[in-house]
Amino acid sequence: MTQPDGISLDGVCKTFAGRGRVVEALRDVTLSCPKGTFTAIIGPSGCGKSTVMRIALGLESLDAGAVRVAGEPPLEAARDGVTGVAFQDAALLPWRSVRRNIEVPLEVLGRKPDAAHVQAMIELVGLKGYENSLPGELSGGMRQRVAIARALVTHPQVLFMDEPFGALDQILRRQMNVELQRIWAETGSTALLVTHGIDEAVFLADRVVVMHAAPGRIVDVIDVPFDRPRKPPLFSDPAFHKVCDHVAEVLHGG
Amino acid sequence: MAAERRFAGLRNTLILLLLWEIIGQLGLVAGGALPPPSDILIRLWQDRGDYPGHILATLQASVAGFVIGNVVAVAAGVLFALSPPMLRLFRGINIAAFALPPIAIAPILALTLSGMAPRVTLAALGVYFVTMTATVIGIAQADSRAEDVVRAYGGSRWKVLRLVQFRGAVPSILAGLRVAAPNAVLGAILAEFGGGGRWGLGTYLLGSLGRGEPDRLWGIGLIATLIAGLSYAGFALLSRRLLGATKAVTLNAAVPTGKDDGGPLWARIGMALATVALPFVLWWALIKLSGAPAMIAKTPGDVFTYLFLAPSAETAQAKLLAALAQTLPITFIGMVAGLAFAFALAILSKLSPRFISGFMPVALITQTMPLVALTPLLVLILGRGTSLTLWITISVTFFPAFVTLAQGLALVPRSAEDLPRAYGASRWTELRMVTIPASLPYLFAATRLTVPRALLGVMIAEWLATGRGLGNLLNQSRGYLDYGMIWSVAAVSVILSVVFYQ
Amino acid sequence: MLNRRTFLGTAAAGIAASSLPFRAHAATPLTMQAAWINDAEFAGYFLAMDQGYYTEAGLNLEYLSGGPDVIPESTIIAGRADLALTTPDTTIKAIVEQGAPFKIIGAQYQKNPIGIVSLAKNPINTPQDLIGKTLAVPPVNVISVEAMLKMNGIEPGQVNIVPYAYDPTPLVKGEIDASLDFTTNVPFTIQQAGEEATSFLLYDFGYTIYNDTVVVTEQVLAEKRDLLVAWLRASRKGWEENLADPSVWPPKFADTYFKGTGRSIENELYFNAAQKPLMESPEGYFALTEDGIEKCLSALGEVGIVGNTDMFDTSLLAEV
Repeated sequence: MTQPDGISLDGVCKTFAGRGRVVEALRDVTLSCPKGTFTAIIGPSGCGKSTVMRIALGLESLDAGAVRVAGEPPLEAARDGVTGVAFQDAALLPWRSVRRNIEVPLEVLGRKPDAAHVQAMIELVGLKGYENSLPGELSGGMRQRVAIARALVTHPQVLFMDEPFGALDQILRRQMNVELQRIWAETGSTALLVTHGIDEAVFLADRVVVMHAAPGRIVDVIDVPFDRPRKPPLFSDPAFHKVCDHVAEVLHGG
Repeated sequence: MAAERRFAGLRNTLILLLLWEIIGQLGLVAGGALPPPSDILIRLWQDRGDYPGHILATLQASVAGFVIGNVVAVAAGVLFALSPPMLRLFRGINIAAFALPPIAIAPILALTLSGMAPRVTLAALGVYFVTMTATVIGIAQADSRAEDVVRAYGGSRWKVLRLVQFRGAVPSILAGLRVAAPNAVLGAILAEFGGGGRWGLGTYLLGSLGRGEPDRLWGIGLIATLIAGLSYAGFALLSRRLLGATKAVTLNAAVPTGKDDGGPLWARIGMALATVALPFVLWWALIKLSGAPAMIAKTPGDVFTYLFLAPSAETAQAKLLAALAQTLPITFIGMVAGLAFAFALAILSKLSPRFISGFMPVALITQTMPLVALTPLLVLILGRGTSLTLWITISVTFFPAFVTLAQGLALVPRSAEDLPRAYGASRWTELRMVTIPASLPYLFAATRLTVPRALLGVMIAEWLATGRGLGNLLNQSRGYLDYGMIWSVAAVSVILSVVFYQ
Repeated sequence: MLNRRTFLGTAAAGIAASSLPFRAHAATPLTMQAAWINDAEFAGYFLAMDQGYYTEAGLNLEYLSGGPDVIPESTIIAGRADLALTTPDTTIKAIVEQGAPFKIIGAQYQKNPIGIVSLAKNPINTPQDLIGKTLAVPPVNVISVEAMLKMNGIEPGQVNIVPYAYDPTPLVKGEIDASLDFTTNVPFTIQQAGEEATSFLLYDFGYTIYNDTVVVTEQVLAEKRDLLVAWLRASRKGWEENLADPSVWPPKFADTYFKGTGRSIENELYFNAAQKPLMESPEGYFALTEDGIEKCLSALGEVGIVGNTDMFDTSLLAEV
């Protein structure tokens, strides 16, 4: 069951106490992402999909179960620099330039920034020429690309993304999906994407994990069979829509 | 539009100055005790030889107090932001630091400390609360998503603080420093009144009080105002230059994780008791540390003995209660009047921003002008009765209340105001439906702010003009070397402010 | 502030050293706390500092200025000064009521210069004139005024007493009829404001107390007796020289001790001349005569401050 290089959650339970009542956020969540695969988690608001990721990142404690990231407990994996992360909002430090924002994880891990590598990341996400711009001077899509570059700068074996394009419009989002696939393919990392966009999940992932709320649980794991690299025309392919419809059915069905 | 408004402000100020000049020249107010601006300027020029030494001394004390107070405040703010239990534990001390009436503290500082120390301490005290609060708020409001990024890479608490929170708190801290800077100057001047020594604007003012020369008193007041105003403007400029890059790009919608409040009942009661006890422990410790002789420096125990156990306790209690009976009602009335005035101003600022922009310079002057210089003039205009006390109290309370209310009003979303207007509502309807309800929560905050200031205003009036109540008792006890009473009055006025604040 | 003061002290010592034969032994430090801001009230001490009389007497004198809110007694209790110039009523009250360990070893003013000041056009020349009038009194002095009124058969309720903040403006503007202040000083200020002033001393109407009494703690008296005698000797010399011709010395302090006080030299000259008769005694400056002590104690007794002769130590003056 345990994958030494991927992500594995085994029987994870989590409850939140607040405002006089107890919310069961996750019940017995078991999930395994083999090395080098792309997994998307999809589900309605409040189904605990973000909590799954925050637990895998070590940002939340868990009540029961076990989590391994590249064979290590989450916080150790984080400290070893195994993981990379991008959040729903770019969450950039507004007072730092693009380059200095991308260097944040290196600073936290106590690594010396390699200027050439940072520059390569900037170019990888297509922000050449904006190295010294402040986040306030960038568009929403550009900020999100900075967040992706920041997530990749540590050469992560495991890449976590929590609705990284949630704040973008549909057109920009598709462009970013294509770019993300390209970048992911180049790095060969294990990716876990949390999203509420069905087409995004199907376009990017090898497997789509569908969750339901109250209590948060996994109801189905759907394999996506398309070859890579996937191209934008796939978005209008009937086969693509068939998979999307299936995901939607599971999502909305009982 | 902005240029037009600035021009209107300038014009109003000029009109006011001109009016002042005419009134002064004709001796219309108080038989000529209000000198015209031209006389004040001439006098300033004549006295120019005296000023450098005094200004330097005041600046020295204010700068030292400003630096020390802010270092302590930022350190405390960081500690409190990192540790909510510490924040709860120090709540008593923080409120006391905020509510301390400087007029009651100044003589005590002068008694227990020597040299520049009382001035520096009072300046530092004036700074502490503002900056500490700004730091806590700044850190607490730091972008929690950015914090997550650092934590997701295994960043420690310290890394989160260093990389995200502290830098994120800078604008808030700078805004705090802006308010704190004039406080430091005024604190230093107030301490100079009681501190002795030859130099300092406060000393100069006191030395000049007996001269019967209002033009010089006003001159000193203007210089003090200028220094306080410049320090405010300096930090305003600094924060404007730094602020540009620091605003979060998108609104942070993440709700901070609910604090695990309390625990078992006994722990909560223990915490509450410790919060109340800590200021007294600190008081006791400071006395012991200062090494001041027991006759002068009273510990909480000494004050308790003085008020309840000593043979003279009954007389002391009677005096104190009589003074309180005179001071409290007028404090309350003054506070209500000050708040009402501030509320009216805040509403007016919404209706007629132009009027307010002309009024603001005058309001600012009343805030930084040492009351000791103004009071003799006010006495001539208003006599020594209740109306004088009321006016002084209103003048010290309305400004912070107004600022709080105006800030609250500025936060009302545009769309909320546009809604009634879209249905053709008049200015008044809009005011009634949106502006006033929106500002009510801030009225509550403003009330808390004004309580200690109202008490301060009343005590100053009593001390300098009416010869009643706590202010007079404090002054008289100083003259009679009745140290027990000095400490009692100080303790009672602080406790009162804290109780009202709660 | 302390630095500046030390600086001035050093400067003064420097002047003294250059004009006097060099003395080999190190001077012993002694600190005095004055009762008010630097004005002619302390001209004798300034003179003695400038002329090196303290240095000559083996003292390295540090001089602390006072002010309205400085309580000189507090400074010596706190050990920040060795001796202080005080008002005898507060000092003796503190001994009686607080058990303060004070001794009075001299008195600068044989007659307290405090009096009732009024305008010549609305003159108040006797306590009787005060009936029905408004009188501004510093809160500290209220009991003294009430005692004086009682001695002259007037009920305190017959006079409207309001607080006085040492600003003569209300008097000049007619807001009050009279004020309690230094008669050596305020009449000049009132003249400057274009009015003629008149005054009478509380002393002349039964309130016969000293002022600027020289006070030390018992501990300082025991440990530094010789230094105190030396201080009295040098100070007396300073005052003798200053008051020999009151118009000579104040201008010399314009750029040192009087700098930055905001007061004019003319004012100090007026003050210096006016205080001369109040300080003189057949037994020399600072005298504590048996008669004087008796009068002082009896006047204080009238306001309920019951002191005794043990609170005075005349033996130091005897050595001078």
